[in-house]
Amino acid sequence: MVDNPYLDAVLTAIAAIIFIIISGYGVGLLARFIAKLAGASRKKQENTFAGYLFASPWIVGFLIFVIIPMGFSLYWSFTDYRVVSNAPPNWVGVDNYTQLILKDGGFRASIVNTLYLTAIGLPLQIAFALFLAVMLSQNMRGERVFRMAFYLPVILGFNTAVLLAWRLMLNTGTGIINQLIRAAAEAFPPFGYLSRALIFVQEITSAFFLGLSSGKFSLLTKVWEAGFPAANRVPLWVQSPLWSKMSVILLMIWGCGAMMLIFLAGLKNIPRELHEAAEVDGASGWKRFWSITFPLLTPYIFYNIVVGLINSLQIFEPIFVLYRDNQPLVPSAISMVYYLWQASFRHFEIGYGSAISWVILVIILVVTVVQFKMQDRWVHYDLY
Amino acid sequence: MRDIFPIIKRIVLYVFLTGATIVMSFPLFWMISSSVKTLEETNSAGIIWLPRNPTLEAYTSIFQNANFLRSYFNTVFYTSLALVGTLLSIAVVAYAFSRIDWPGRNLVFFLMLSTMMIPPQALIVPQYVFFNKLDWIGTFNPIIIPGYFAGGAAMVFLLRQSMAQIPKELDESAFVDGANHIQIFWEVVMPLVKAPLATVATFLFVGLWNNLLAPLIYLQTVDLYTLPVYVSTLYNINLTVQQWPTIMTAAVLTTVPLMVVFFFAQRFILDGVIVSGLKG
Repeated sequence: MVDNPYLDAVLTAIAAIIFIIISGYGVGLLARFIAKLAGASRKKQENTFAGYLFASPWIVGFLIFVIIPMGFSLYWSFTDYRVVSNAPPNWVGVDNYTQLILKDGGFRASIVNTLYLTAIGLPLQIAFALFLAVMLSQNMRGERVFRMAFYLPVILGFNTAVLLAWRLMLNTGTGIINQLIRAAAEAFPPFGYLSRALIFVQEITSAFFLGLSSGKFSLLTKVWEAGFPAANRVPLWVQSPLWSKMSVILLMIWGCGAMMLIFLAGLKNIPRELHEAAEVDGASGWKRFWSITFPLLTPYIFYNIVVGLINSLQIFEPIFVLYRDNQPLVPSAISMVYYLWQASFRHFEIGYGSAISWVILVIILVVTVVQFKMQDRWVHYDLY
Repeated sequence: MRDIFPIIKRIVLYVFLTGATIVMSFPLFWMISSSVKTLEETNSAGIIWLPRNPTLEAYTSIFQNANFLRSYFNTVFYTSLALVGTLLSIAVVAYAFSRIDWPGRNLVFFLMLSTMMIPPQALIVPQYVFFNKLDWIGTFNPIIIPGYFAGGAAMVFLLRQSMAQIPKELDESAFVDGANHIQIFWEVVMPLVKAPLATVATFLFVGLWNNLLAPLIYLQTVDLYTLPVYVSTLYNINLTVQQWPTIMTAAVLTTVPLMVVFFFAQRFILDGVIVSGLKG
C-alpha cells in the first residue's frame, strides 16, 4: 500500500483496469471454448470471444459487486455479525427478521415515514411535473429557458450544499419561506385562511401517520382538539415531528423536473390532429385534457410512477442532512435507508443491517411488480 | 373578442411560467445572497433580499480553510478518476450489447436491466465488509473502482440504444478493410455517439459530485472527505447559532461546477435523450 492516498487511488485504478482486461480475456476464452465444444462455426466462435470480452467489465463486476455480496448478505442476515468485534458470524436463524418486523419500533417508524413520502409526496411530485409540462408544451418562445430553470433542481438535487440552503430557508422563525407566508397572510387575509387550513390538514394527516408508527394516536387527538390554527400560525418545517416529512416532500416537488421532461416528450408525441378534431367538435380545453391528453400520457405516468417509487423508497440524503442527530425529530423523519445506514454504519451490526437490506429489497421488488401487474387496468399502450 | 382571448391566454401563461421559474430558482438565489450577508443578517427577523453592504468575508475565510480546500480537491480528483474509467467501461459494454452478435447476449442484457431494480443501498453492507477485507476503508478506492466495472445499468442502456442505431454496414466495411473490434469501437463507433456520451458523462459527473452515502461510509478521515461529506459537517445541530454565511459560501462553491456542466450539457439532456429508449 502506498502512503499517498491519491497515488494509491491512481495505482489501484490501473490495477483494476489490468484485472478487468485479464479476467475479461479469461471470460472470452472460456466462452469461445464452450462455443467450440458446441460446434459453432469459426466466425461464431470469434464473435463469442469478442462479445464476452467486451461485455466482461459488466459480467465480472456483476459477480464481484452484486451476486457475491448478495449471497453473503443473505447468509449474514441470519447471523449475529458485528464487524468491529472480529468474531465470526453466529447463526441465529430468523431472529433478525422477527426482531426487525415485529419488535423494532425504529424500523417500523422508518417504513411508515417512507410510506408517507411515497403516498403523499409522489402524487404531488407527479402532479406538479405534469402541470409544468402541460404549461410548457404550448409551443412558445423561451421554452428552453423555462425547461432549464425547471430541470436545474434535478442536477443540484440532493447535494448536501443545496439541502443546507433549504435548511436555512425552512427555519421556522427567521426562514425566508415562513417570513413570506407571514407577510402574505398579513397583506391578504384570505391567503392567511388558506394557509391555516392547509396547516390544519397537513398536521392531521401527519399526526395520523405518526400514530401509525408509534401505535398511539394521542398526538392526533391533541391536534384535533387544538382545532383550527390560530392566526399567527406558520408551518413548523424542520422543527416539529408533524412537519419533518412535509419539508422533504417540498424538496421532492422542487426536483420534479426529471418527470417533467418525460411528460414533455409524451406530450410532443400526441398527434395534433386529435386535438384539432376535438376542437372542431367543440370540446373545451379541460375536457380535451381529460379525454385525449391524459389517456395518451398514461404510459409516461406509469414510467414516472415506477421510477419515482423506486427513488422515494430509497431516499436518504435529505433525511441525513436535515435530521441527523436531531433526536426529537429522528423517529418522525427517518427513512428506511437512513435506518439501514444507522444500524450498519453507526452501530456496525452487519447481520442486522443485512436483514434490513433484504427487507428493503423485497419491498421495492414487490412494489415494482405490483405496479407492472396493475398497469393493464389503466395504462393505454394501444392508443399509439 | 375572439382574437383577444388567445393573447390574454399567452400573457397569463408567460406570467405563470416566469413565476414558476422564480420559485424554482429561488433556493439558488437565496444561497448566493446569504453567502454575502453577515451572520446577523442571515438570522434577521425581517426579509433581506440582498444585503445592503455585501461582504466577501465568508469567501476570504473559506479560502483559508484547509479542510474545505482539501475536500474540494478530493472531489475533483475522485470525480475525474472515477468518471474516466466508468465512462470508458460503459462504452465498451454498450458496444458489446449493440455491435457484436454473441450467444447469450439477450440473456445477459436482460440480467443487466433487471439489476436496475436492486437499490444500491441494499448492497452497501456486504460491499463494506468486502472492502474492509481488501483494506480499502479509509481510501478512495471503494468510491472509484466499482464504477470501472460498467457501474450504472441505466447508462449502459442509454448508450446501447444510441450505438444500435448506427448502420451495420459501417463496421462491416471496416472489417473487410482488416480492422478489429477495438479499432472499430474507437475509430468508427465512438465518434458517432459523441452526444449520447456527453449525456452519460454529465449524468455520471452529477452523480459522483453529489454522492453522499458511499463517501460518508468509506472515507472515514477528514483528509479524504469529499465536498458533500465535508459540507454536511459544517452544519452542526449542537450549535445554537449556525454559521450560515460560511455554510452558504461553501454551498455556492460546491454547486458552481454543477451549474457550469449543466449549462454546457443542457442541450443534450433537455432534448430528450433520456426518453429515447422509453417506448418499446
